[in-house]
Amino acid sequence: MDKGKFFINRLCQFGKSRGREIGMRRIKESILLMLVLCMGFGSLSGCSGNVGGAESAGNEAAEAEASKTFIFGDTTFNPENEEPDVNPHRAYSGWACIRYGIGETLFHYSDSMEMEPWLAVGYENPDERTWVITLRDGVTFSSGRKMDGEAVKECLEHLIETHDRARGDLSIESIEADGQVITITTSEPKPAFLNYLSDPYGCIIDMQAGITDDGIVAGTGPYIAISLVSGERLELVKNEDYWDGTPGYDSITVRTISDGDTLTLALQSGEIDGAYGLPYASYAIFQNEDYHISSCATSRAFFLEMNAKSAVIADDAVRQAIAMGIDKDGFVNTLLQGNGYAAVGIYPDSFSFGGDAVKAEKYDPDGAKAILDAAGWLDRDGDGYREKDGTKLSIRWLTYPSRQELPLLAESAQATLKEIGIEVAINSTADHNSLRVDPAAWDVYVSAMVTAPTGDPEYFFTTHCLDSSSANNGSYHSDELESLAAEMAATFDVSQRAELAVQMQQVILDDHAFVFCSHLKMSMVSRASASGLTAHPCDFYEITADLAPVS
Amino acid sequence: MGSYVCKRLLQLIPILLVITFLSFGMMRIAGSDAVLQKMENTGMVLSQDVIDQARTELGLDRPFLVQYLTWLWDLLHGDMGTSYISGKEVFPTFVSKLPATLLLTVISIGLTIVISIPLGVVAAVKQNRFTDYLIRFCSFLGNSMPNFFVALLLMYVLAIRLHVLPVISNGVNGRSVAMPALTLAIAMSAKYLRQVRATVLDELNREYVTGAKARGVRFSATLIKSVLRTSMVTIFTLLTLSIGSLLGGTAIVESIFLWDGVGKLAVDAINMRDYPMIQAYVMWMAIIYVVVNLVTDLSYRLLDPRIRLGGMEA
Repeated sequence: MDKGKFFINRLCQFGKSRGREIGMRRIKESILLMLVLCMGFGSLSGCSGNVGGAESAGNEAAEAEASKTFIFGDTTFNPENEEPDVNPHRAYSGWACIRYGIGETLFHYSDSMEMEPWLAVGYENPDERTWVITLRDGVTFSSGRKMDGEAVKECLEHLIETHDRARGDLSIESIEADGQVITITTSEPKPAFLNYLSDPYGCIIDMQAGITDDGIVAGTGPYIAISLVSGERLELVKNEDYWDGTPGYDSITVRTISDGDTLTLALQSGEIDGAYGLPYASYAIFQNEDYHISSCATSRAFFLEMNAKSAVIADDAVRQAIAMGIDKDGFVNTLLQGNGYAAVGIYPDSFSFGGDAVKAEKYDPDGAKAILDAAGWLDRDGDGYREKDGTKLSIRWLTYPSRQELPLLAESAQATLKEIGIEVAINSTADHNSLRVDPAAWDVYVSAMVTAPTGDPEYFFTTHCLDSSSANNGSYHSDELESLAAEMAATFDVSQRAELAVQMQQVILDDHAFVFCSHLKMSMVSRASASGLTAHPCDFYEITADLAPVS
Repeated sequence: MGSYVCKRLLQLIPILLVITFLSFGMMRIAGSDAVLQKMENTGMVLSQDVIDQARTELGLDRPFLVQYLTWLWDLLHGDMGTSYISGKEVFPTFVSKLPATLLLTVISIGLTIVISIPLGVVAAVKQNRFTDYLIRFCSFLGNSMPNFFVALLLMYVLAIRLHVLPVISNGVNGRSVAMPALTLAIAMSAKYLRQVRATVLDELNREYVTGAKARGVRFSATLIKSVLRTSMVTIFTLLTLSIGSLLGGTAIVESIFLWDGVGKLAVDAINMRDYPMIQAYVMWMAIIYVVVNLVTDLSYRLLDPRIRLGGMEA
């Protein structure tokens, strides 16, 4: 018994001491574990040994402020957008060249989209194929070379040698330089020649300075590109010899931020000072006194093309009912949260020949129902959709998802057209380009495009509406339009071209061959500490000499 | 062992042939091509002549089999082609993205180990007690949240509220890798700590643990020297599978944090139908999975000498 008690007592004592020991060890292990975790996170967040995280995160912003640096986040500056660098003679890189203040064109667009001299001071048009352009004096490239006729001639010759689109647009036969005057002869009459020269590919660069392997060029703009990592970042410094004022910042960094949410958070955290390409849902965050939002309508339009080869669409009443059955204002105000403008015709109202200059069907579901009733489209079986001669009124809506607005537009139209008895079968596919060339695959093709990239109205008609158009997807034909287009091709006077543009739009709208739903609202947001980041209707001009810190 | 490794590496050849052929075919079935994608992105309309000319320049007008065999022939001669989008050579472009992906993989796996193994073990040891419930609840939360949501949450807390880390990465460095690594580690840890818990619990219920306890061996010694060691085979298998997928890049996390790795490169290439770049990525994925699985199999021998490789050493 004693032996037994002794054993139990010893066991208990051992147990207690082991318990204390294990308890202490567990506490030590826990503390050790916590320390390891803290060290892990600490080393990741600090890495340079800087314990003050807030301090390190704010360093860049503080440094940027001290040296007057503006950091701009942009979703579009990348090779996928055909903007791998800032060389205007390559693909669409001219957009980056002109947007970031590196290059300038001979003419540019005013806020009301009228042509104005820029690096040129004037022009003459002695005959239909000859353009005599006088250049501005006192302008130098960032390389230090004076911009004269010879420099512009070299630039334009290189442009048409290397850039297919420019060569086709400009049709330049010869260029002669004499001091500050250049004389350009085209191979055919080109009424929109100055518009084409104002395309971003027309940025005047110094060809003697050349184009670096990174795609950096010497332009005449307020900022000079000094380094570029394609698809990542562009570093710019102030052009001290800029001819048109003093650039507001010492340097500018352009960061490619392809994710919209990241762009939003970077602007919120103060890592960038301005942003282009924010998601629609983010604008509400910046509608306060800490930020400036600059917006305007651009000529990027979201529109329907009717397929003339489709039996149901060939019916005039159906086309008109579709035009009257789409609630453009509802789409823009509700689904786009106000980040768009309801369209009337091809161009927004910032163009003299756009907006209310033309008349289109208004949203009128009752009127649409009456038109369909009169045409014999009636809902006889009570399923909510109309029929005629045993055929259900159903349209195949072809579109694509890469533009966030297009699937939303499809859903909006599906809902409003259902109210008037039209069924909409949506096919939103990345393969739309293969399908749109097959007239049996769709009834309505809905897409987005920049309808007036050079500010001239001719482009949309020549690409979409004529017998010769490469993107006349719906096989539309109008004798009247063909005749007006021929007249426009021979008209040089800007105001007469505008009048023709109005007439031509009215033809396609009266035929209900196209329905223009909305125009893109282009917005840029900057912190209140900066001013002069202003949206422009042609989408070419972003960073200018006017961009400056608020003193 | 040597012949086993050679045999496994030789298996790569048919795998690469089949997988590159399939991916080549599937991208064409997906429709569109680099020329049309570029046109769509710019919002401009090109004439059919210009489109045809661009296709001819890229060789997209040739029959599918001719395109594939040409690509294969060039590959066998050490030429992986040129990107349709950037115009740069595929191989150096792809290789330039690897350091970022490797760094992100190493850091996130390291963090996952640091988080999931201790927590998994603690949850197992404290089975059905408050600590266990708390850890399992956190694991449930972590599993429920998709990566992009965790990323945005971390950005909001660490960058906007606390100003501890930057939202956008600034090159391949420690500060920039912290948030993407943490995002991946949270998701993986949530998954693995449950696996660790289950494996450790399984071991804790074995007779050798009861025997050790009866012999008065310290529990921590049993846990570390026996239980953890035998659990390691399962844990190691899980981790190596993760290494495979991480080396393939994590497109969403890389895109959100502007982390310039192969995942973002691959997604951009797929979106733009950049076939040569897609082929490079597919080959990389096939190689890393074969190699990682091979390394895992070999390591089993070290962790548990009873395991034999491919019927060898019988």
